[in-house]
Amino acid sequence: MSESVISLVGVGKSYRSYERDIDRALEVLTGKARHRQYDALQPLTLQVAKGEVIGVVGKNGAGKSTLLKVLAGTLQPSSGQLAINGRVSAILELGASFHPEMTGHDNVYLTCAIQGLSRQEIDVAYEAIVAFAGIAEFMQRPVKTYSSGMMMRLAFAIATHVDPDILIIDEALSVGDGVFARRSFDRIMEFREAGKTIFFCSHSLYQVEALCDRVLWLDGGRVRSEGAPAKVITEYGDFLQQESAIMQPVPVTVAAHAAPIAAVTAASVPRVLGVKVSVDGHEARVHAVQSGRSCIDVEVHFQSVAGLPVPSVGLVILGGDGRNVASMGTVNDGIALRVADDLTGTVAVTLPEFPLLKGCYVLEIYLLCEKGLHIYERVRGVAEFSVEQRGLELGVVTLPHHWQVR
Amino acid sequence: MTLFLRVLRLCSESISMPLLAPLRHYALVRMLMQREIANRTTGTAMGRLWPLLQPALQVLGLWFMFAVVYDMRNVRGPGYAQYMLLSMLPWLCFSEVLARATGLFREFSPLYARSRFPLEVLPTMALVMPTLVYTPVLMLTALWLLGLFAAVKAIVVIPLLLVWTLPLVLFCTVAGLFVRDFGQALPFMLTLLMYLTPILYFPDMLPAAMRDWLWLNPMADWMALIHAWLGGNILPRESIVRLVVLWLLLLVPCWLWFRRTLLHVRELL
Repeated sequence: MSESVISLVGVGKSYRSYERDIDRALEVLTGKARHRQYDALQPLTLQVAKGEVIGVVGKNGAGKSTLLKVLAGTLQPSSGQLAINGRVSAILELGASFHPEMTGHDNVYLTCAIQGLSRQEIDVAYEAIVAFAGIAEFMQRPVKTYSSGMMMRLAFAIATHVDPDILIIDEALSVGDGVFARRSFDRIMEFREAGKTIFFCSHSLYQVEALCDRVLWLDGGRVRSEGAPAKVITEYGDFLQQESAIMQPVPVTVAAHAAPIAAVTAASVPRVLGVKVSVDGHEARVHAVQSGRSCIDVEVHFQSVAGLPVPSVGLVILGGDGRNVASMGTVNDGIALRVADDLTGTVAVTLPEFPLLKGCYVLEIYLLCEKGLHIYERVRGVAEFSVEQRGLELGVVTLPHHWQVR
Repeated sequence: MTLFLRVLRLCSESISMPLLAPLRHYALVRMLMQREIANRTTGTAMGRLWPLLQPALQVLGLWFMFAVVYDMRNVRGPGYAQYMLLSMLPWLCFSEVLARATGLFREFSPLYARSRFPLEVLPTMALVMPTLVYTPVLMLTALWLLGLFAAVKAIVVIPLLLVWTLPLVLFCTVAGLFVRDFGQALPFMLTLLMYLTPILYFPDMLPAAMRDWLWLNPMADWMALIHAWLGGNILPRESIVRLVVLWLLLLVPCWLWFRRTLLHVRELL
């Protein structure tokens, strides 16, 4: 059994609400309860081994952020016993704890001091923090003059340069834009590869499944499921699907997905230059497709960036209810892309005898890092397929099959 | 026996926790002090002299009003200015600390609301800066009025006074958080207490009937102690006993109240 670095035994968190301020004071003074209680996190027992990457998923209000704040020490649990063995660094609300009147330099020292670093340790880490954030020329200015992007960069750099044993990340697997987003993602991957314990919550189920060793699904402050990522993410995905089925589904229309394919990202990061979609040789954005007969060709033209590995490409086909119906990616299929001297490249994929049954489907394109984890660009509503079928098959897909009469 | 041990542990925690917190978080406290000094002095021509000049100028103003305008020197003799100045400085320090304490949780909320800021250092923040400011001013005043020996002895006055003030700081910190009216009423209460304390007047100027009740005012004991200490007189033992007993009686409940409040603070703001 690996060494346990986080131990929660019946740890719960309740928020108290009071009718008047004085009621809280009287409760503190006398010990007699005068509050109404809202349980944000039901008693939770969990052991996390050193080097484990734990993902937390759940709807808004499920208790994810409360759990992460309790682990980060910014909230005290209302019940149970919490033991953390090691230095914790949390990326919760980036930049939120900066003092606006202080300079970037002073905020680095202050934040690190709050983390428990000595002056000497901060001196050692300072240069690396500034270099990573890439805002050296602004370090002597008050933080209130920073853009939100600069503040996020600095906060992320501090959180990941205080040599934490445990990194807690709330919806910030990569921050900033362009080059910094990639750099911050790589930094977290370095932590993972260095065997640090990572606790992160995200709505990106793909990334949770790809990165985590174990996943917790929280619902209404309770653990609904826990275990291997594939199992929990599947259960959670089904749950979301049922939820969206209960709710009125949003119909996919041309207008809703009519965003033009435009190279809007900065040239400092890989970007999609254009996408061509043709059905049976005809290019268009809205296609009539014959199930089992039409052949769809998708061609993605992209631009890479010098110094970065050649990116990868992924395709997702969404159903009318927004559910992922099918996906494919070059990393998953072992296809290495190439770029020309001008760093542009093209990849094409053919979907013969389109197997989806009648319905409306939408195509999305992803340009990803070479590992297929970090998203450089997502192009929504590239094409819409209105599928018709001859027969009376039910479902969403025709499976390859053979009949034998015996 | 268990209860006795529990009380003993609580007493020990009440004394050690707030006083040792700045040592445990030395780097942080130092940073916050530097920030506070910078906030008060950045952009001013006098720079870092301002924290020292402010109490000194305040005392000079009072001295001018009472010793020159009201001509108390001629009424009460040449020792009046000395008495008034050496009483007023510790009082200003005491009242500044309590006034600051009422807003501490709100003042530092940006830092602790979303980080692991150690809340137990907050009372220190109300105490350390006035110690650093008023101690040299009191020493210089004692040097001017009483000579070098008194100046050296003055070094312990402000730190001891503020350690004694700790339970009140804990109380005001919490009261100021929960009851906003407290912060509004405190300046009036402090003014009233100042008039009830022999600071601007000698104790013997009070009517005899009131003089008999001075023992109820711990600040009157402090004034008696400070003047005896700096003047080289015998320290009034009964004042010391009263102050120590009161401190011990207040410290444990105030610390408990503060400690219980910590569970609420991050949720409250």
